[in-house]
Amino acid sequence: MGKPATGSMTLPDELDIKAAGPLAAELIAARGKDLTLDASQVERVGGQCLQVLLSAAATWGADGAELTIEEPSAAFADAIRIAGLDLTQFTARSA
Amino acid sequence: MDTMAAIKQTFFQECEEQLAEMEDGLMMIEREEGDLETINAVFRAVHSIKGGAGAFGLDDLVRFAHTFETTLDGMRSGKLEITPQIVKLMLRSADILADLVRISRDGGEMDETRVSQMADELSRASGAAPAPAPAPQAALEPVVAFGDGQVDEFGFAPTPVAFDFGGDTAANEPETDEFGFAPVKIDFDNMLADDGAAGNLKGFEIAFAPRAELYAKANDPLRLLRELGRLGDMKVACDASQVPLLGEIDPEGAYLTWKISLETEADERSVREIFEFVEFDCDLSVRPVREGMDEATAEDTVKAVLAQVTAQAAVEVVAAPAIAPVVFAELAAAPSPAPVEAVAPVAPAKAPASANTQAAPQQAGQQPGATIRVDLDRVDRLIDLVGELVINQSMLAQRVTEAGIARLSDVAVGLDDLEHLTREIQDSVMAIRAQPVRPIFQRMARVVREVADMTGKSVRLVTEGENCEVDKTVIERLADPLTHMIRNAIDHGLEKPEDRVAAGKPEQGVVRMIAAHRSGRVVIEVSDDGAGINRAKVREIAVKKGIIDADAQLTDAEIDDLIFAPGFSTAATISDVSGRGVGMDVVRRSIQALGGRITISSRPGHGTTFSLSLPLTLAVLDGMVVTVAGQTLVVPLSAIVETLQPKAADVHGLGEKARVIAIRGSFIPLVDVGSVLSYREDEADPLQSVAVMVETENQTQCALMVDGIIGQQQVVIKSLETNYGHVFGVAAATILGDGRVAVILDVDAIVAGSRQDAARAEANRKRSAA
Repeated sequence: MGKPATGSMTLPDELDIKAAGPLAAELIAARGKDLTLDASQVERVGGQCLQVLLSAAATWGADGAELTIEEPSAAFADAIRIAGLDLTQFTARSA
Repeated sequence: MDTMAAIKQTFFQECEEQLAEMEDGLMMIEREEGDLETINAVFRAVHSIKGGAGAFGLDDLVRFAHTFETTLDGMRSGKLEITPQIVKLMLRSADILADLVRISRDGGEMDETRVSQMADELSRASGAAPAPAPAPQAALEPVVAFGDGQVDEFGFAPTPVAFDFGGDTAANEPETDEFGFAPVKIDFDNMLADDGAAGNLKGFEIAFAPRAELYAKANDPLRLLRELGRLGDMKVACDASQVPLLGEIDPEGAYLTWKISLETEADERSVREIFEFVEFDCDLSVRPVREGMDEATAEDTVKAVLAQVTAQAAVEVVAAPAIAPVVFAELAAAPSPAPVEAVAPVAPAKAPASANTQAAPQQAGQQPGATIRVDLDRVDRLIDLVGELVINQSMLAQRVTEAGIARLSDVAVGLDDLEHLTREIQDSVMAIRAQPVRPIFQRMARVVREVADMTGKSVRLVTEGENCEVDKTVIERLADPLTHMIRNAIDHGLEKPEDRVAAGKPEQGVVRMIAAHRSGRVVIEVSDDGAGINRAKVREIAVKKGIIDADAQLTDAEIDDLIFAPGFSTAATISDVSGRGVGMDVVRRSIQALGGRITISSRPGHGTTFSLSLPLTLAVLDGMVVTVAGQTLVVPLSAIVETLQPKAADVHGLGEKARVIAIRGSFIPLVDVGSVLSYREDEADPLQSVAVMVETENQTQCALMVDGIIGQQQVVIKSLETNYGHVFGVAAATILGDGRVAVILDVDAIVAGSRQDAARAEANRKRSAA
């Protein structure tokens, strides 16, 4: 089985409630291939965007595709820590 | 006014409404007429005040409202038993809250110690309230029951517990389907906190499950977690298991829940404060963890399991977002040894009912939106203009008459219609200003509480006719006199509890306040069921203070009336409460200034009643227009009993100057208005005069001698004090149809003035004779 194509996406700086819907839509559009999320620009993260990202990781995992987060900004890493989560929960390995 | 100030003003207006609602609710609870919805209403009122105060940074107010609210929450959830003591505490707290609101609005200093004492008392009540012994046990079962369907193994008598039920059955266990609801959350946190005095507080176990509404209101769990982290060492565990795959996710839903172990020295209040503004948009439990908790007793283990179940239940709601929670506290109200039978039939029937009460929080109240707020100045301006219209209309009528136009002509008939219309407009405008006396009665409830506390007497206030409407100005100016009368009734009127018991009366005294409309006036009675006026003592004091002569012959009514004499104070010791240098004379004067009268009646051993009779409005008055020495005067119609033409045989001299008139077998003093007001030097000839019989506020009759009667007319009152200054014998002024200013007589002052004249004349006569 050949490796699927790889895509990449840069997460916006504001991941607040307004960003959750567009983020989910973008991620759904990016389904079906390995994806790298660039989190270096993230300055603010809200709970709902974390939910969407967690959902994405689970979805990618279920699809058997790879999801990685690249260069998490300090704000992003901090948000994950505060929420009691782990960066690995936002990634998926290919089956 | 800038926008912020306007918003703040609206907030304070709403505060007043919330305070009234709160007070109403508490009074209902006090009378044992309240139900769960009443407590909810009180809670909501306090909560709204807190919310608004938070937005304006009124920290003192927020802090106290929060403590108050916590205790109310205890009442609401049934954890705190509603005893008379608790209701009293609530009422006193309501007073403090009202003070805090007013101080926040008007500025001023709040007595910090009073606030903190009350806050402590509230915390003690809510914190130390002993939960009924079987409560933890009983509360446990429903959880097990709904979760596992094992109810029938337990025979228990349930106690009320607050349940939140989500409505989406599809998301729940099959066992729950037959009930039509799913268990969501049971809040045991405080209950567990109550008996956790086993060791020192180490920290808290917090379960926090936001709902979608929390996010929608621009709150974020991460921010709350961050704040929580500032309180101490925090371990956060996030449950992400409910997050669905991308295909099913609602990006603006709520799926994550948290369990937080917080090691902190902060108290539960500070922890809860963080969640203060989201508490209705999440499921939250805060459980204190104490040292020595590890060697848990069997009961503690049960609780730990319970907490877990609670947390799981909390997670379940997350799977079904946007469920409107239904508060369900009466569920366990029907005790039964076989709870499954009790629960099953009760639950479906109750669920819609509870939903209804939530949807319609104001049951018997007015429809929301049926009222508008109008600046009082605008109403006053309208009233002024209508007053001008009335004057203008009567001027026009007079011109028409003067022009010799026939009474049946079209012009005159049209004018009559105009008069009707004017009168109707006037009545309607007056109705705008008319307000029920309820707020003032509510304020008196507070006075009663405070004075009862100060004097150590137990007092019940009974009010009637709170919906009676009176002009707003009248209401405002009633506060001080009524306060004083209530103070007097409790301090001087009611006996000490032991004396009451000795007299065969219930220990608790009753003070009644009744408002009623009687023949175009409003009558307010303040009565107590105390010992009544001690006439011997009143007389003794009056003699000692030189108010009356030692040998004066006085009727009971006249003795009672001495209480209104300036400089009279009956209490043997001037107490904190009534002895503030203001006597009943001040009360009488302020009532008279309102165009009212105050009378007293007392029955030894049965109590004393003060009656206030007040005009419905201060803006217009029905008067009789009379002439005296070429002047046009108006006598208030409310004071007039009858008018008559004196006959020579009926008029008798009394002493040097005084004269009386014999009417139907009794002698009534004749008062020469012209000489009392110094309009003329000479005595009026009674036989050339018309006698207008008036009744003064202490129900004595007098006959005022005037030269002639012009007619009856409604006149618009123009205050003389505001526009000129106080003039003896004159209550106010008005503008007549011909454009002239006429004074409105202060009948009581005229009568009193004539007595003084007579007394002076008598004294002069005695002196010259000696």
